[in-house]
Amino acid sequence: MNCTRRNFLIGGSTTLFLSGYFPKISFASMQKKNLIIISLRGGMDGLTAVPVIGDKRLKKLRKKLILEDVLNLNSDFGLHPKLEIFHKLWQKNQAAFVHATNIPYTGRSHFDGQNLMETGAHIPYKEKTGWLGRGLLASNIIGKGLAISLPMPLLLRGVPQNNNFFPSPDFVETKLIDQIYNEFKGEHNELIKSTLDTIRQRPLSMQIATDSDDRKKLALEAAKQLKDQSGPRVAVFDLDGFDTHAAQGGVDGAHADELEEVNKIVTILHENLGQAFDNTLILTLTEFGRTIKQNGGYGTEHGYGSAILMAGGLLKKSQVYTDWPGLKKKELFEGRDLNSTIDSRAVYNSAMSICFNQDPEFLRKEVFWGDELPDLSQELFKI
Amino acid sequence: MSLNFYRRVAFGLSPNEKPDKDPLNWAINQLDIIPDLLWPGTIPTEKNLRKKYGEWVYGDREVLRKKFKNDKHAYRKAKDELRIKTGERYFELNEHAIRHFQTKYSKQPVFERFWLFWGNHFAISEKDFLAEFSTGPYQREIIRPNMVKTFEEMVQSVTTSWCMIHHLDNSESFGPNSKKGMEWGETINENHARELLELHTVSPNAGYTQEDVIQLAYIMTGWAHKWDRKNLETGDIWFDQEMHQKGDKIVLGVKYKNDAKRELAKVIHDLATHPICIKFVSTKLCRHFITDEPTDEMINPVIEAWKKSNGNLIEIHKAVITQAYKYNEITHKFHPPEIWLMQLSRMFDLNIPLSFEKMNYTFKSKPNNRQRQLSWILREIGHSPYRAKQPNGWSDLEVDWVSPELLLRRFWFSSVELPILVKSGNRSHNFILACLKNNFEDHENMASLIENFRFGTSNYDLGQKYGVICNLPGVLKI
Repeated sequence: MNCTRRNFLIGGSTTLFLSGYFPKISFASMQKKNLIIISLRGGMDGLTAVPVIGDKRLKKLRKKLILEDVLNLNSDFGLHPKLEIFHKLWQKNQAAFVHATNIPYTGRSHFDGQNLMETGAHIPYKEKTGWLGRGLLASNIIGKGLAISLPMPLLLRGVPQNNNFFPSPDFVETKLIDQIYNEFKGEHNELIKSTLDTIRQRPLSMQIATDSDDRKKLALEAAKQLKDQSGPRVAVFDLDGFDTHAAQGGVDGAHADELEEVNKIVTILHENLGQAFDNTLILTLTEFGRTIKQNGGYGTEHGYGSAILMAGGLLKKSQVYTDWPGLKKKELFEGRDLNSTIDSRAVYNSAMSICFNQDPEFLRKEVFWGDELPDLSQELFKI
Repeated sequence: MSLNFYRRVAFGLSPNEKPDKDPLNWAINQLDIIPDLLWPGTIPTEKNLRKKYGEWVYGDREVLRKKFKNDKHAYRKAKDELRIKTGERYFELNEHAIRHFQTKYSKQPVFERFWLFWGNHFAISEKDFLAEFSTGPYQREIIRPNMVKTFEEMVQSVTTSWCMIHHLDNSESFGPNSKKGMEWGETINENHARELLELHTVSPNAGYTQEDVIQLAYIMTGWAHKWDRKNLETGDIWFDQEMHQKGDKIVLGVKYKNDAKRELAKVIHDLATHPICIKFVSTKLCRHFITDEPTDEMINPVIEAWKKSNGNLIEIHKAVITQAYKYNEITHKFHPPEIWLMQLSRMFDLNIPLSFEKMNYTFKSKPNNRQRQLSWILREIGHSPYRAKQPNGWSDLEVDWVSPELLLRRFWFSSVELPILVKSGNRSHNFILACLKNNFEDHENMASLIENFRFGTSNYDLGQKYGVICNLPGVLKI
């Protein structure tokens, strides 16, 4: 249960309020399901995270980037050694991967690509809301989005009263917030007004000063909130640094460092969600994959197809779900990138339908303008 | 004309400035010459700081890592000492002070606003140790002198600057048919070429293709830092013929004949004078000074000025200000945290940055908390200027700056930190009232909101007053 700062300050004690307040839904009703998205900005290299095993052509083109000791997944695919938690969860049917997938964007610009991975649209900067925000709105789930970042990510925009969290040096008096709120009453600025509304209802634990940008604390707080039956249902993490044009490295190196960050977040979520992990889906999101061939700086260029890393108890089974396009020159996108054979938006649409208890057809129409996105719930998730 | 014009195009009026009879002229007259940097403390050169950068990376990578390869603890200790010795933790703080001092005391604050704009248009994002050693001097020595030249000249300087070349990996780009490319089996790195098109000049609106990016990358091959064992990647930029892709190139349908180092200037000329580039950059300028979604009506006079003056930035800036003036009463603009902070600092004469004497650094111990204060505040309010996450710089849109956490940071700063920064002579209620009167039409209404604390001068009381004042709708936005 969430104790808001307001409750705390009025009641003077959290326990007082906890005992006097019951969630609106009965315990007999469906357990809350969490959807966690980790944005990997810069273009995550699916072939580094989930390498295809024994492909001679890849070895030839990526001499300096080939991983020596990958974790074993199945006969076709391995896993980057820094993604340990996924390997551990894989044994328990709680990790899976979608490979050779991407949003339908082939332009190779980060900024257009990131805009589209968040809006889910086809034309950059045209849509002002994110697919996750629209999904929440269509499912009538309001005020249940939590971003672990300073700005509100575009991905969550489109539904009001999302919260965000980032450790801050000190806390702000409620009286001041109320006063500023009052001064905005006559304004027409809905964005600031609704943001102030959210601030007034923030849980107390998000108000406490934690002067640190330690990822561990962020993930820990997110887990705490998500675990709460009446807490947020959606959380968005934002990582950057995947744009490894230079010194990408193999087992170690720039891309490995970033994957390690993902691993850290998922590990903390897994450890601290407890039982709630069984009702959780964690999915990664990126703007594109990277070229097959290494470039002049032992890095890779912007590409097309990538992979989605998935974890959580709502996965159907451990698997690498793919319609593998192959890595021969003619099988590559424009002769240079891993192709995308699965529109990643189909995965996200299906994940939303599972976590928000919605008909995927309905969501597809409400969120993705009726674009042709097959329902993958049966294949990927527990129904 | 509303007083908010002084915040729209500058940083508001300081207690000893008075509104001008002709605000438009006041603003336009600030753009012809480059104001001197006012910071009385150290202003190191780019070259000097690059040398420090070199000492830092060489010392760490080549000396300490080898020396302490089996002793992690000793390595960390030695590395921290090296940080202190090379100023790795210090120079960014000093740069923030130089920058802030300028926006606070410059007699040409409008010019300074454009300086911030261009530094962000040609942004250097957080990478390696650029923020520590390089981004500040780059903005002073590359961006600033070009603000009275043409846009094309600015692009030329930026594109061949050490900072941008390192930022976007051009030193790692080899023409596959060049001497070194063939010998070492190396190829191009597209990063810089792509951003030169996408962010710095024509934008994706120009409809360039992957092949255009590759061809431009070919043209750019060879522009790299000189490498030697001691300076590593911090050598000067030169044109290395042995890295340069031979043959003719075609970018956006224009053929560039095989002409070694001269190819770059030619293609930059074409990109920087491209009508789509002119429209793209004019729109960004209007977005910064007028409103998030400027209309064609707002932008067109800027485009006209650009064309008429062949891209002369002085004329372009004047046109932008004229438009900002024209639309001042009917448009709104939400200011990002750094500009908001600079405005508060100028309007209320806050005690930032630290005096140059106290900013002095001996290279013997870590910078102290007071020296770190301004940079710490900037980071906590979410806008550390040299640490944009990506090469497209900081957003200029309201939606990117309004989130519960980002607003709370402003409330926190103005109610908790700001009182500590109020100078001892400025703690009276009358001082605040005078500053409000100097900068806001509805100062009487604002004054009524803090009336209850009129007798208070403690930090707590000041926090109550500034906390409200600094976050009113008319202060967060103009």
